[in-house]
Amino acid sequence: MAGKSGRTISATPQGGIKEKIFSWEGALILLLIAVNIFGAVLSPNYNMTNILRESPRYLAEIFMLFGMAFILVLGDIDISVGSIVCLTATMGCLVSNKGMGVGAVILVCLGVGLLCGMLNGFVATKFTELPTMIITLGTQIIFRGIAEVALGDGGSASMTDIQSIGILRAKVGPVPLSFFIVIICAIIFITVLNKTTFGRKLYAIGSNRTTAYYTGIEVQRIRFFSFSMLGFLAGLCGLFLLASTYGANTTTGNGFEMEVIAMCVFGGIATTGGKGNIIGGFIAAFIIVCLRIAFGQINMNTQLILVIIGVMLIVSVLIPAVTNAINSRKKTKKA
Amino acid sequence: MKKDKSLIKTITGSREASLVIVLIILIAVITVMSPSFLSPTNISQIFRNNALTMLMALGMLCVMLTAGIDISITSTLAFSGMIIGLMQKFDYLHNTFLLFVIGILIGTACGVLNGLIIAKGKVAPIICTMGAMYIWRGMAYVISNNAWASGADVAGFSDFGKEGSFGPYIILIIAYIAFFVVMKWTKFGRKIYAVGSNTEAARISGINVDKTIISVYAIMGLLAGLAGVLSVSIYASAQPNMQYAKEMDVIAACVIGGVSMNGGRGSVVGTFLGALIIAIIAKALPLVGISAIAQNLVKGVIILVVVVLNVITQRMMDKQALARREM
Repeated sequence: MAGKSGRTISATPQGGIKEKIFSWEGALILLLIAVNIFGAVLSPNYNMTNILRESPRYLAEIFMLFGMAFILVLGDIDISVGSIVCLTATMGCLVSNKGMGVGAVILVCLGVGLLCGMLNGFVATKFTELPTMIITLGTQIIFRGIAEVALGDGGSASMTDIQSIGILRAKVGPVPLSFFIVIICAIIFITVLNKTTFGRKLYAIGSNRTTAYYTGIEVQRIRFFSFSMLGFLAGLCGLFLLASTYGANTTTGNGFEMEVIAMCVFGGIATTGGKGNIIGGFIAAFIIVCLRIAFGQINMNTQLILVIIGVMLIVSVLIPAVTNAINSRKKTKKA
Repeated sequence: MKKDKSLIKTITGSREASLVIVLIILIAVITVMSPSFLSPTNISQIFRNNALTMLMALGMLCVMLTAGIDISITSTLAFSGMIIGLMQKFDYLHNTFLLFVIGILIGTACGVLNGLIIAKGKVAPIICTMGAMYIWRGMAYVISNNAWASGADVAGFSDFGKEGSFGPYIILIIAYIAFFVVMKWTKFGRKIYAVGSNTEAARISGINVDKTIISVYAIMGLLAGLAGVLSVSIYASAQPNMQYAKEMDVIAACVIGGVSMNGGRGSVVGTFLGALIIAIIAKALPLVGISAIAQNLVKGVIILVVVVLNVITQRMMDKQALARREM
């Protein structure tokens, strides 16, 4: 459809069925279906009930996907979320063991997460010269460090009162509460990113921060908000993790930051900013969750999933580069 | 008077000089609080326990000089270390020298792969190495089937790195001297700096940018592979989760040592001092009465404070330079 000038403005309105299937999201949906067929063929227990039963411990991670998508679209990165999860779960657990009710636990978890995110946002917006990778590397070690100090010598804490937090494990039929939160979050965040001026501002900042600043977009305020938002969502993740594991230790949330970033990138969100869509990341998250559950059920070496995620990640970022190279070669041949 | 001023200027102007001062103050404070700190046993332990971080920090320096980053190093380490461990476990090979060669080759291969994807595929370094991080860590689990290679399996081999052996120290010294010379006085070293400070200018001036980037990641892989073998030797065991998440320590050592993440700025001496500061803090906390649990907290605060102070001094210097020009 590329014209002579190489520009890709098509005369037909966008959004045809063909385009939808051949877009990145379309390919992801096909992959999701393939993964589900693969699971169903391999494991006799791979059905909706079992998936829903096993999903809560993976669903909590998806909360952070939405916040991370905002951060990546901005052209930033946050590698401290795994530690925020650890810290919030720890604090929630300790508060609960002090005999406070579930309301206090929820408040503490979300509050601590929000505070951590605000700290990231504060440093990132006050010292704009610093790459956010370094800032969040520092806070990553700090947050986990605080959790380690709070947990003390044993390095772990378990909840004595597992009854009251049970409301977070509530189910509507077979569907766990966290699933609804994921869906609600998805609707809100996708709408905000695609349909509101705020969302478009995120893309503007991500594509060119200086230009965005001169067009009057309050760049730093939006970055601060996004970091705080991600912290809040990490707190939410910590809360639900606490509700499903009844405790926390120094390794809680280890590696979550990379998994969430991997979901986003696999879903087509570029780490260089300004590109990508949450829907892609959302589908990618479910592909990984379904793969995990299927692998767990057939007792395959669960660590093999790491290799598969890694290969998918690299292939997914290589595809655009390779197709670009092929296209430009074709073009030069024609010329 | 004039001489005095220039001395102050060198200290505030040079990252290495200010790091040395921080280091001296740190050591002085610790020695006052715990006189046994500077004993030979303590010092050798500091180097032995942090040999892996110090070694890999050199590779990370090169990678960060080209404005890249490599978070797959500890996975490469686990992969090469695990293969070395398994080779001895199943009695394929017990020759220490050959095991070192194999480990280094495996690491280099992993590094070259990273370099090719990043240079030729134009993939962001953090994403590519994140993928590699998953792949090699996963492979380490898969090839070992979640099992360890125990101390008995690697008995003869671990003599190289056991307490009292000079092996790890010699490797560290050779590596640091070699990198110091290469980065400062050879064409290749200067090419790395050139690519990092301005890729486009480097390309136009005839530097093969892709080749430089690939070799930088190959060096990083080489060191990670070497660190894997060394890790098996020092800790006398190989397990698939070894050194998990320690890549951040390596990056932190570089950052404290003044290596810029935007590329083109950093030195071997600075990297060494950065790694040393982290190592000393880890060792000294229990000695000065702070519980070892708080180690990470202190480390994180130091990293954040160092980078923020760096920005503030840079701003002040810029402002001064501007004021002088206005006069």
